[in-house]
Parts: sequence; C-alpha cells; structure tokens
Amino acid sequence: MATRSESGFGEVSRLRGIVFKYLTFGASLVGILALGVLLAYVFWDALGLESAGTAWYLTYTVTLLAPLLGFLAYARDKPEVTAGAIELVGFTLAGGTLSFAAIIVLIVIAGPGVWVTYFLTVVAPVIGLFLYGQYEREATWVGLAMLGTLVVGPIVGTLGLGAISTVAALLGAPGVYFLSLVVPGAGLAAFLAADRFDASRRVALGVAVGLLVLAIVGVPVVDTVPIVARSVWFAVLVMLGLPVGFAVTNTARQPARRAAFALPAIAIGGFLVGEFVVGAIGATQPSPWLDWQFLTSPTSSLPADAGLYPAVIGSVFLIILVSIFTFVFGVGTAVYLEEYAPSSGLLGTVTRLINVNISNLAGVPSVVYGLLGLGIFVNINIQFGPVVYAGIGAGTVLTAAMTLSLLILPIVVISAQEAVRSVPDSLRQASYGMGATRWQTIRNVVLPRSLPGILTGTILALGRAIGETAPLIMIGAVATKYNPPSGLFDTLTAMPLQIYTWAFLPSEEFRYGVVAAGVVTLLIVLLSMNSVAILVRNKYQQETY
Amino acid sequence: MTDSPNRSVSRRSFLTSAGAVGALALAGCTEGPGSGTDNGLSGSIRISGSSTVYPVAQAVTEQFRSQNPGVEFNLSRDGSGGGFSNLFCEGNSDFNNASREISSDEEEQCSSNDIEYHEINVATDALTVIVNNDFASEYPGVTDMSIDQVRQIWRADGATTWQDVNGDWPDEAINRFGAADTSGTFDYFREAVLGEDANHTSDYSPTEQDNTILQGVQQGRYAIGYFGFSYYQDNQDAVTAVTLQAEDGDSYVEPTLENAKSGDYPLARPLFTYPKVSSLSQDHIAEFARYFVRQSANDSLIADQVGYVPKTEEGMQSELDALNEAISNA
Repeated sequence: MATRSESGFGEVSRLRGIVFKYLTFGASLVGILALGVLLAYVFWDALGLESAGTAWYLTYTVTLLAPLLGFLAYARDKPEVTAGAIELVGFTLAGGTLSFAAIIVLIVIAGPGVWVTYFLTVVAPVIGLFLYGQYEREATWVGLAMLGTLVVGPIVGTLGLGAISTVAALLGAPGVYFLSLVVPGAGLAAFLAADRFDASRRVALGVAVGLLVLAIVGVPVVDTVPIVARSVWFAVLVMLGLPVGFAVTNTARQPARRAAFALPAIAIGGFLVGEFVVGAIGATQPSPWLDWQFLTSPTSSLPADAGLYPAVIGSVFLIILVSIFTFVFGVGTAVYLEEYAPSSGLLGTVTRLINVNISNLAGVPSVVYGLLGLGIFVNINIQFGPVVYAGIGAGTVLTAAMTLSLLILPIVVISAQEAVRSVPDSLRQASYGMGATRWQTIRNVVLPRSLPGILTGTILALGRAIGETAPLIMIGAVATKYNPPSGLFDTLTAMPLQIYTWAFLPSEEFRYGVVAAGVVTLLIVLLSMNSVAILVRNKYQQETY
Repeated sequence: MTDSPNRSVSRRSFLTSAGAVGALALAGCTEGPGSGTDNGLSGSIRISGSSTVYPVAQAVTEQFRSQNPGVEFNLSRDGSGGGFSNLFCEGNSDFNNASREISSDEEEQCSSNDIEYHEINVATDALTVIVNNDFASEYPGVTDMSIDQVRQIWRADGATTWQDVNGDWPDEAINRFGAADTSGTFDYFREAVLGEDANHTSDYSPTEQDNTILQGVQQGRYAIGYFGFSYYQDNQDAVTAVTLQAEDGDSYVEPTLENAKSGDYPLARPLFTYPKVSSLSQDHIAEFARYFVRQSANDSLIADQVGYVPKTEEGMQSELDALNEAISNA
C-alpha cells in the first residue's frame, strides 16, 4: 500500500528502505570478499601457482578450461544433461569421500583385527536385524534388538577382541576386507540392480558375481602398483566403484542424459592432452606445496620434506569420536529437555536454570575447556575405595576427543533444542489424537522433522571442533609426531596444531608455503566430512517437506 | 515421508564437489614407513621443553627414526621452564630440552617427585640482538652496542627513549620485543646481560614465539628484540643484527657461528637436553640419547641445517662418556 501514494494518503519516504538495502548488500559484500581474498591467497601459496609459466596457463586454458566452459554453455538449457552431469560428478566425489573415510577409519586407524571384531559383533548383526525388519514388518522386537546389539555388541567385541583378531590374522588383512566390504557390496549391487533398474533376478545375480570376480581379478593388477595395497583396492572398489557404477548406469539408461558423459571425457581427456602438450613444449609447471608427498609423509625439519599425514589421521580419528559423543549426548539432552523435562512447578524452574546454563556454557572460551580437560582427564588422581581413577593420559586421542566434545556439546544441545522446538505443536497433537504414544510421536513426527536442523547445528559445531588448537595444547597434545595414533590411548597431533607449529618455525618456506598447504588440506578434509552430513540432511529435508 | 521418485541431486552435489577433491588423491596412502636399517628398537619417546632447542631435536629425531622406524617420537614446544615444571618434573616426559641450565626451583620439584636427570650440552647458540632495517640505515651507530647499552635498554627503570642510551640517537620511545618469562632465552638474557642486581623490564612485548619478535622488529621503526641465532640466520634480510662489545675497549663482535665457537661473542650460550635417568634403562631411549650426543658434533646438521654451533669432537666425546656412565647406573 505504501508503495503507491495518492492524494489524501500520506507519503512514506522510501529512502530509509533503500539505504538499508544497500547497507546489508555492502555488509555481505565485505564479508564475502574478505573471505574470498584470504582463500585465494592460501590456495595460491599452497599450489605454487606463482611459479607456473604463461605457456602452462595457456595450454590448460585451451585444453581444459575452454572445453569445460563450452560444455557448460551447451548444457545450460538442457536440464536433463545438467542433472546427469551433476549426478556423475556428485556420485564420483561422494564415492571418493567414502573411500577416503573407509581407508582411514577401517584400514589405518582400526586395522583388520579390530575392524573384523566389531564388524562381526556390531555391524553385521545390526544390518541383519535391519534387513529382517524390512522383510518382516510385523516383527516389532527388531528395533529394540538393534538398540540392544548397539549396546551389548561393543562390550562383547571388546572382550573377544584378542580371540577374534587372532582368527582374523589367519585370514590376512585383504581377506578380512574382502569378506566385510566386497561381499556385502556385491549384495548391495544386486539389490540396486533389481530395485532401481528393474533387472531380472539373473542379471542382478550376474552383477553381484561380476563385482566379486572383478575384485579378485584386479588383485594381480593392483600388486604391480606398489602404493596401492590389496585392502585399499577392495575398499576403493566398493566405496567408489558402486556409486560411480550406479551413476553411470543411471545416466546411460536415459537417452536424454547421455550427453552428460561428455563432461568426464572432457575433464580426463583435457587433462591428459594438457599434460602431454606441457611436457612437449617444456612449459614451466607450478611447484605445489600441497602434493602427494605432503599428504603421505610426516613433518620434517626441511620444508620440502614436510607433510601432514599423522595430523590428518589424528584429526579424522578425533572428529569421528567427537561426532559420536556429541550426537549421542547432545541430541539426547535436547530431546529430553524439550519433550520430557517438566516445564512447570519447582522442577520446571530447575529445567529453566539448566537451559540458561547451557546457553552460557556455549560462550565459554575454548582455553577454559582445555583447562577443564587437563583437570578432569589428565592431572587427576581420585580413589573410590579400590578403584583408582588417574585420568586417561596427557595428549591421548580419547582425552582430546572428550575435551573437544565438552567444548561443542552446549552448541549442539542448543541447536538441537531449537530444531525440536520448531516442530509445530499441532503435529504432536495430531499424532496424540490418532492414539500414538509419546514415544511413537517423538520417533515418527518430532525427530524426522527436526533432524535437518539438528544436523545443521552439529555440522557447524564439528567444524569448530576440528579447527580448535588451544584446548589441544592445554591437554598436552604434541607438536611433532611421525606416526599416526594407533589407538584410543596413543598420543596424537592434529592438523590445526601442526599448522600452528609450522607457523612459528624460522624458515620462511614453512611460514608461507607449508602452512598454506596445511590450511588447504584442513579445509578439504573439513568440507569432505561436512558434505557427508549435508547429504544426509538434504535427504531428510526432501522427505519431510 | 514418501520416497520421492525424482531424486534430484543438484543441491547436494554442488556442496560435495569442493570437499571431496582431495579424498580421491589420498585413496592409496597406506603403505608403511620407508625402509631403513631396522635395529629392532621400538618404543616411544616423549620430548618436551625449549622452543629454541626444538629445531635441533626435530632434526635429530627425524634422522634417528629413518634408521629405527620402530621408535616413535612425541615432541612438543613448551619453553624450557614450561617443559620442566608441567611435564618433565611431573614425570610426563623422557627428555626436556632447555636453553639454559636447570634452575634450583626446578631441581627441587624434580627431586620431590623422585625424577633423576642427566645434563647433556648439545650445542651453542649466539643470542642475537636485532633492530629495524630502516632504523639501522638511518642511524648506523645503533648496530654497534656495548653490553652496557643493551643492559640500559632492557633493565627495569632503564632508558625509555633511544636518546637516553646515546645522545646521538633519536628521541623516540624504545619498542621492545623479547622472550616470555617461561622461556630459557629470557632466563639466560637476564643473567648474562642484566646481571644479579637488575630486573628485566616489564615494558616489552613478551612472547614464546620468535616469529612475533621478528615481525615486531620488522614493522616497528624504533624497535629492538632478541632471539636465538637460528632465527636470524633464516631471516637475515628482514632485520639487522647488532654487533656487541663485551667490555670498554674490546672490539665489536658480530653474531656468527664462528665467533660463538671461538668464544669472542659475548652472548654465546649453551643449549641442553635433560634425559630422565630412569628412562635411560630402556634400550631405545638410551640408544637415542647416545645418538643425540654423537649428532651434536655433526656440522652439517647442527650448523647448516639448524643454525647453532656444533660441539667439538673432544667435547662430544666427554659428553658421551658421561652419558654412558649415567646409562650404566640407570
């Protein structure tokens, strides 16, 4: 109404509105530009782009950049091609992230003995129960049985660790990963073929057997490549091969989408042609700090030999533990406080007091949490009768994970509470009105609706945890370590700590090149882990709305 | 909560794309550490203490590990004092590096926790006083100072402007950058320059990070700072080192490794590492301690790579004899 003024109506000045609009625009521009400049600067240093010659830039512009832009222009008004291309790229990257995670978690950190033990006692029974529950809808005990397995399984596994790993050792590491990854992967492939692509029973079986045969046939080929172990081959085949195979099949089955295959062809072909031309004309290539050697070696006193491998493994180990701790305790607390805790009377006051305190805890500086961790996990010695608690060690993985969990727990609780609160009460009332119990309402209405919000909060909090340096220093995490942590009670170094150490070394190459490469690696690992959570969140968002 | 048949992937795919680039590249990184002559030693060694000695310790541990892949090191930089009081004397580390000798308070703390230690002198440092490049080219006189002038600048209730130190120098406030009091560099500087009867000024920017000192002096025109020689060796163009005169009438001596070795440079200071005697009973720790001592006479490692004065062969040999004695008693 105010936009159109007629005589008789008063005039409203639009100046303030316009000024406000441009102020907000300016504010966002400053922030985004500052971040952009910072990132560009770090990438520039990390990849050593300064040293590349003009010929190198020209070659790759012609062989790679121009064809890619051409493809984008072509695909712009063809939604089917665009969707196909995004599916191909997205599934490849997601598969890459999954295989990276599988290699680090199952092969490097856990190792075959530990992995096979918990696979047999926890993972396999839970998956089996889940499948049975899908098959036999009437069996209401399945959910409880899964919960029971999750609680009892780890205990049984820990008790039987020695015996099972001895038996597994007879099988050898590749055998363990073949049985625990490739065989279930073949089952999944058969299921996908039958369910998504309507393949006949015979074809589906063929897909499964084909995957098993491919895995075994690939072994002699892989053996000729010294840096790829057999276990790694199995993990990559399942974690990367399945998503890529799925995306390729899906694209190939729809004729309108087939043009999307041009994208990987251009990317790979352009890169190979570019490499060939650059080699032929002898153009100066960039000398990146962030290269294969950097990712696979420990730190060194020489900048050229320095690497981030133990710190990458340490950080991933840490963040997996932190995400488990914070998700279980944070979401549990939030659901209890919002759904079950009394909201009136004397107990209601206690609830409000707890809520206020959690909000305040979220603002406490990280150094204080570091001191807290030092106090309750490291420098402590209490006796309860015969039981002596003397902490869990200075700078161990478990100490660091628990300290960082304490640090981000308040943030996770607050955001999860907010998400649970944002589920409209009318939905709960409708659920009760249809005779659902409180548990059924929370399980079927509240949690699915609030999960995207819960995950958003958790992702942001984990991003903070992976970048924290101060608490790690306080609890005695070390600056230099040459091997990744081998267990929960081994000391660790983490990426931010390693970067912090490099930033104060005498040599200029450390303070610029190596630090920049470390920062870029930290960003890449952070984004890969976030992308997994974002995928889960988007899936639930699509299902609920 | 229906499973929608048109599964659009556009939004999530964009978000994944940036993140997973490096994941692919990492997919094969699980081979074991490089080969080497394996002597069958294994175990882990915790080294804490001085950030001045840290580069030496890192270079030595790195070489030792290439020959003994079974030995794992945990190094941290806590400052000489921080390492003694928080870790070593509490029994939490096997070695503590120090850029000064252990103090009597720390000795007491160690002995009250039954921690016995052995002292090893691993190298010599030339503590370097630096000033800003522009300041040095405008007033060439500031690059030659007597120890007495340095004392005036750094002692409590001393000079506040450069003119207070020398009438020819500008009437500008002195901008000081120095080591924090947990640092062995601070303790050495106070003892060697200021002496018994003067206190270190509190009007300065204290830090455990030499980098901060370097940047402070680089950016502050009338700034002065001090740190270990290795930091100056790697950044000779960024700041100007002051040549020092020990007594009236002596010549001004440049901070170089040769001058520190010959003993001409007045602020040459010994660097130490302190193994815990009870740890030396373990084979891998004893072997590493011997290796550390032998490497302290390695010219290319200590002087060229790190930037300190290596020990002489004789000096190294006598340290080694003392260490072997301590190991046999452990």
